Amino acid sequence: MGKIVIVNGSPRAPKSNSKQYAAIFKEFYQAGASEADAIREYAVIQDEYAAIAQAVKDCSDLLFVYPLYADGIPVVLLDFLKYLEKHVPANKPQVSAIVNCGFFEPEQTKVSLSMLRLFCRQAGLPFSSCLSIGSGEAFLTTPLAFMVKRKIKQLAKALQKGRKREMQVTLPLPKKSFVKASTGFWLTYAEKFGVTKEQMDSMKIEGE
Amino acid sequence: MNLILSDFPLPELGQGPDTAVVDLSALNIHHCIGCFGCWVKTPGKCVIRDDAGKVYPLIAQSDRVIYVSRVKYGSYDSIMKTMLERAIPIQKAFIQLYRGETHHMQRAVKDKEAVIIAYGAQSPEEQAVFRKLIERNAYNMRFSSYQVLFTTKQQAAGLVKKEAAKWEKS
Repeated sequence: MGKIVIVNGSPRAPKSNSKQYAAIFKEFYQAGASEADAIREYAVIQDEYAAIAQAVKDCSDLLFVYPLYADGIPVVLLDFLKYLEKHVPANKPQVSAIVNCGFFEPEQTKVSLSMLRLFCRQAGLPFSSCLSIGSGEAFLTTPLAFMVKRKIKQLAKALQKGRKREMQVTLPLPKKSFVKASTGFWLTYAEKFGVTKEQMDSMKIEGE
Repeated sequence: MNLILSDFPLPELGQGPDTAVVDLSALNIHHCIGCFGCWVKTPGKCVIRDDAGKVYPLIAQSDRVIYVSRVKYGSYDSIMKTMLERAIPIQKAFIQLYRGETHHMQRAVKDKEAVIIAYGAQSPEEQAVFRKLIERNAYNMRFSSYQVLFTTKQQAAGLVKKEAAKWEKS
């Protein structure tokens, strides 16, 4: 247990679900922390790569929190990983991840975690633990948010105790119910902008 | 139509009139900002008005595609990845069950035969991760069939020419 750096890899970091998941992690990690422990938080789209890499030089754990984008790691995080590989810290912090996937199946994040493991191998950093979140776009807005919070707590504890964990969580719903609920979620989202279901359902691309 | 997307300039391929060749490295394409505007504000149209808006309609209209990309950590490297992330206006926010999994519905997107020409992979393990990525892409990008061909950057252009020639014959 020691200092941890949390890196938000979302392209919309200030408004991201990744930020919310990182905040929950921070809360649980702090609860079990000693005075010597410190948590620092960065976002790849907001902070200088050099500043993040500098902080990483002084931590025992590095936690990436990111959404699944086009079946993989978002390009904004990929670019940071390439930078970090060229500035590998001598202290070799262990790397963990919370991956947020908008689809029901947390398994859809597996390839992105394989990419992160490859980064670790190429950069010479140890990979520790991961939590894959399915239904991640809406999970925290449901009455079942406690389920994902519980998993994040388990991840925080594992990192504090130096244990490796691989976990996943999704809403406990039949897939068809998830599809129905997600439709409602997106309709409500678009309603704020005065956009109707018919408009959202358009087959046109670039108006053609 | 046929589409060749590359992350570096390719030499003249002598392609037919139904084939578009796009050098992504010559375009101005910002990364996706995750605003969901293309789903909930201006459906089918990205709110960032850069060159991506010229490319994702071509992806949607194509029956056959060749994507040429460097591989990094088993992912498409930044140039191709940036473009593919910016192609989400061709999908809808709505989710459906597709081959037993949840995936976004598509707008007017044709099923496509895809050939992915990948260079720069450092190990068999990295190639395996990239193959898995393309397997996932097949679900979300409507690949009815796909091939992944690993090569070097120097040999990639020759491979593109060979694969594109097969289109002309069929």
